[in-house]
Amino acid sequence: MKNKHKQNKQPFPPPVGKDKFSNEEIKALQNAGLNTDGIIYSCKGDMDGDMNFCDAWIWFNSEKLYIAFGSVEIKQTKNQKKRIEPKIEITETAEFSLTEAYKLSYDRFVSTGRLYIEKDGKIKFALGFSISKIGGIDNLSKAFNSYIQTGTAEIPSEEEEKKEGHCKKCGAPCPPDKEFCRKHNKNSKTAVRLFSFFGGYIPQIIVILLVMLSGSAISVFMPQLSTRRLFDNVLSENSGFTPEEMMKALVVLVLSIFGIKLLNTVLTSFRQYIQGSLMPSVVYDIKVKIFKAMQRLSVGFYSSKQTGSLMERVMRDANNIYWFFVDGVPGLIIEIATVIGVMTAMFIMSPRLSFLVLFLLPIVFILLYLGEKLFRTMHHRVWIYNSKLSSLVSDNVNGQREIKAFAKEDDEYERLSKVSKGFRDAELKLALTEATVFPIAEITVIILTAVVLGMGGVMVAKGQMTTGTLLSYIVYLEMLREPFDFLSWVSNWWSRCADSAQRVFEIVDSNAEITEKENAVELKDFKGNIEISKLDFEYEPARPIIKDFNLKINAGQMLGIVGKTGAGKSTIANLIARLYDPKKGFIKLDGVDLKDISFNSLRSNIGIVSQDIYIFMGTVADNIRYAKPDASMDEVIAAAKAASAHDFIMKLPDAYETYIGASGQKLSGGEKQRISIARTIMQNPKILILDEATAAMDTETERNIQNSLTRLKAGRTTLAIAHRLSTLRDADFLAVINEGTLVEYGTFTDLIKQKGEFYKQYKLQSEALKAAGILDDGGSSNQNDEESEE
Amino acid sequence: MSNTMDKISPETLKAEYLTPENCEFFKSETGFTGAKINGVLHNRIILKRAMPFASPSDYICITDAEKNELGIIEHISDFGDKQIKIINSELELRYFCPVITEISSIKEKMGQFYFDVTVKGKKKSFTVKDISKNIRMHGENIDITDVDGNRYRITDFSAISGKSRRKLEPYIY
Repeated sequence: MKNKHKQNKQPFPPPVGKDKFSNEEIKALQNAGLNTDGIIYSCKGDMDGDMNFCDAWIWFNSEKLYIAFGSVEIKQTKNQKKRIEPKIEITETAEFSLTEAYKLSYDRFVSTGRLYIEKDGKIKFALGFSISKIGGIDNLSKAFNSYIQTGTAEIPSEEEEKKEGHCKKCGAPCPPDKEFCRKHNKNSKTAVRLFSFFGGYIPQIIVILLVMLSGSAISVFMPQLSTRRLFDNVLSENSGFTPEEMMKALVVLVLSIFGIKLLNTVLTSFRQYIQGSLMPSVVYDIKVKIFKAMQRLSVGFYSSKQTGSLMERVMRDANNIYWFFVDGVPGLIIEIATVIGVMTAMFIMSPRLSFLVLFLLPIVFILLYLGEKLFRTMHHRVWIYNSKLSSLVSDNVNGQREIKAFAKEDDEYERLSKVSKGFRDAELKLALTEATVFPIAEITVIILTAVVLGMGGVMVAKGQMTTGTLLSYIVYLEMLREPFDFLSWVSNWWSRCADSAQRVFEIVDSNAEITEKENAVELKDFKGNIEISKLDFEYEPARPIIKDFNLKINAGQMLGIVGKTGAGKSTIANLIARLYDPKKGFIKLDGVDLKDISFNSLRSNIGIVSQDIYIFMGTVADNIRYAKPDASMDEVIAAAKAASAHDFIMKLPDAYETYIGASGQKLSGGEKQRISIARTIMQNPKILILDEATAAMDTETERNIQNSLTRLKAGRTTLAIAHRLSTLRDADFLAVINEGTLVEYGTFTDLIKQKGEFYKQYKLQSEALKAAGILDDGGSSNQNDEESEE
Repeated sequence: MSNTMDKISPETLKAEYLTPENCEFFKSETGFTGAKINGVLHNRIILKRAMPFASPSDYICITDAEKNELGIIEHISDFGDKQIKIINSELELRYFCPVITEISSIKEKMGQFYFDVTVKGKKKSFTVKDISKNIRMHGENIDITDVDGNRYRITDFSAISGKSRRKLEPYIY
């Protein structure tokens, strides 16, 4: 660790065993008199006791808990560009002996947190931290407290630890698979990767490039023919032609110009033809690549991203890349070739005038560049207002029923007017600024042309230049305008394309959180036993959803899961289906850890009917057949009947062939749920998870489905999550969950007798139903109350 | 502590407002803020603003450590100076936001905005995505949320330097 040579080659900051301090940091902490040997667990903070930003280090070994505050300044060394050298200064330290019974705890506030050291009921404020550091602080607290209590530190797995990387350039946190942070991520790498999409089309690209360059060469050559030759050799008094010869030369010249122009048009059409067939193939490749990557990713990825943003990635980003490559790249090549060709021609024609142009042109270019930079912010503002307006219109259209019900038409109009006014003002400001800046650049060009014309005129008068040469020179000067204009904003265009490309690559490069093990087990003769042991789970750091959860369900049993909203019921279902992996503990199916089972076995043996139903675009039959595309129509009808869906399906205009989903026939919540149940019945899974599967149905339909499900239950392990407790009467056992932990477990009657949490909820529901006149006193619930009172 | 389930009755639908008559705040020996509410001692309470932006000094919900609501303060100003001090110190802690005093630069790259700012004399850099959603103006205060969920505040937009103001102005919608 102290090897000097090795130290110099280390990136910043390298992992040192279980701690996350760099060698430089370790050295600085040691110099401050702190013991960094035998670190059991460590983390970094970013605020001191007064909530001021600073660098903080906190760690413990078998003897003490250490805290140090200071600063890290990152400097790049001169001799090695990629090497960064942190300058570390330790300003304050504290040590706490583990022989005294300390405990670590923390408070999570709105955007910060505080770590406390507790002893004998008294607390000492240790350090503050930004909310982004809470994961590390939570791990440290757990590791420290478990070490104090049991002598063994509860340390996160290597995978958990790997979740943070550091930028090679500035040391800022970045994803572990990235070398640089967002700020220092290089566009050039993105460009190389983008061009790799074109790898399979090299012959076509070479042809396109050759045609483009020919086109540019023709453009550069044209003024020589159409202006210089016309004025100097044909129309000039000094040409020595008779009128007939002049007419003949003129016809030859015009035909030549026409021929060259025609050739240019043919070449352009040819280029567009090849380009037209190449680009859609490339965009198709990009879209397929994104879509394939998206299918591979776990549910967690989709939960962390908005659907809109994902849709945008697939459609808009691929199109952004497409347009840049269709218009931007060819344009760039043509314009650069034109600039080189035109400047060469200009220098050949008149080096003196060309040096003058070379001196004045950058002024125009700088003006255009600055204008573009200014417009960029304004364009962004217009874009934001535009998207705000679109969202508001969409909000308004979707919420028309509510707007009318609350008679809020005028208020909505006001709201829309306000944003619309903001949009108008932003557009107006942009237009006015454009109207001011562009004429300035235009005037500069006019001045430049006038200067060239003046000087050229003098040269013509002195016989140093012919009229044709001067006129064609002016034509060349005009020809430079477009490329310069293009080059001033192509960088903006490229940055938009690179932005899209980076988003695309983010998906393509994302690692699926849930992965299938190599040589994963195929479950043969699967029975459906479920064992959950010491399960911990959290969607975001330090916000546990499931805590130390244990449960055993035997094959063929039905387990009802009960609990308040947000208790963690659906999370249990998602964990059993391995849509997420637990943080700690395990789930076993027939004694095999879920992580060792193949995806195929898992998905074919576990069926979920969730509360959030998704109906795919297609016919009713397609949706029911989703899990078994080759199912016969008999099977589809049988499944629909079992799910009490057949009757309503037959009432649809085209029965089983009615189009449903996003653009099809609208279905009610209950109807969607029934189709979803039919879909799961078709799957015929050994483990059936019903997550509020009948919540959106009327009592009669629910009863019908319950009857069907009761039949289906035979030979299956069923997990039913329900708020309506009466629907769980058939369950073999009931598990009551509260704040992620199992609080009660037993049969329906047992739990009623226990008079615990389940009894309270059941009683509340029965009373509510009685009060509403839905349940009479002779109802079944009353029977149970009596039972419990016995 | 009774369970929340027990509290669901028409009576509980009416919010219990806490006044100086039925509520007294104190700093407990442990260092946390506590309160005596209707004669019941709570050694640790949590104060939360119902409207943190529009009315930071009104409608303060008080819960115990298990997050069971104990009542609501309608206006902090109803309490005496000493009590207000305790309430505010607890609220300031919960809603603490590093205050930006100067904006050195805001650079856009690949759709993300890189802020270089000064917070209490110390340089700080952070990244903001979806700038229109993550810069929120309320009164003269501006809250900026970075990609990691950290929040920064400009307490008086008109009081910061013109140079800093001009840098941020294009992004306030």
